[in-house]
Amino acid sequence: MTVNELIEKCGFNAVSLPEPEREINGCYIGDLLSWVMGRAEADNVWITIMSNINIIAVATLADVCCIILAEGVTVDDEIVKLAGEKGVNILLSDKKTYETAVAVYEAI
Amino acid sequence: MKELSLNILDIAMNSVKAEADTVKITLTETDESFEISISDNGCGMKEDFLKTVTDPFSTTRTTRKVGMGIPFLKLAAEQTGGSFSVKSKHKSEYPDSHGTVTQAVFNKNSIDFTPLGDIVSTVTTLIQGSPGIRWIFVHTCPKGEVNLDTDELKAVLGDVPLDNTEVIIWIKGYLEEAYAEMV
Repeated sequence: MTVNELIEKCGFNAVSLPEPEREINGCYIGDLLSWVMGRAEADNVWITIMSNINIIAVATLADVCCIILAEGVTVDDEIVKLAGEKGVNILLSDKKTYETAVAVYEAI
Repeated sequence: MKELSLNILDIAMNSVKAEADTVKITLTETDESFEISISDNGCGMKEDFLKTVTDPFSTTRTTRKVGMGIPFLKLAAEQTGGSFSVKSKHKSEYPDSHGTVTQAVFNKNSIDFTPLGDIVSTVTTLIQGSPGIRWIFVHTCPKGEVNLDTDELKAVLGDVPLDNTEVIIWIKGYLEEAYAEMV
């Protein structure tokens, strides 16, 4: 399953999609960035409610296939722009973190 | 990071890498606020680099593209409604007064305030790892103060090195006792 296919299946809103064909290999959920940095695995979908600039760095380091901002969290244009430059996919979900995770689980 | 003492360890390691010979860690607590200040006399940073240190994509490391020590501390402080600053003077412009001061102020009553955690281990780890540096640690609370200056220890210890296991155990015990008395 690719990020593009996940968007189609779950209806997430992609605000940054420089790498739509990235393969998905599991999912990680967390908001404590230093914790996520050490534990999220490459090609994981990362679900979080944090939307500051540091998430782009953490996504790059952990090499996740996309970030999903759950619970209706929005993100600044400048962060979206940076995500595009760094090759980080960002999707938005209106669902709660748990429901977002269930949707990802069922899709992949 | 789950504990501020880990953030402090991370920032103090920057001072070690900057080849400081004196590093002062000051924690100042009131009923409402918690302030961390880490100052050193290391090589300092040039102005253009200083502007980028809070950017998670800047670092002196070559092994990875991003350095997260300062961005994480800044985030931890701002999450509580506090503030963050880094001031630095590079040795090329300030040959006699170079160094860096990193300061973070936290609102202790915020639900997102991260606890200090095991600061005694942080301080002893730093001393053991870099016994050549003069480490000054001051933690001031409304209830009292914990103080340690490795130069004062050296004056008493004479030729015994600071990273001697027994000395480190003594330092750990001294700090733990000082904290126990403060409560």
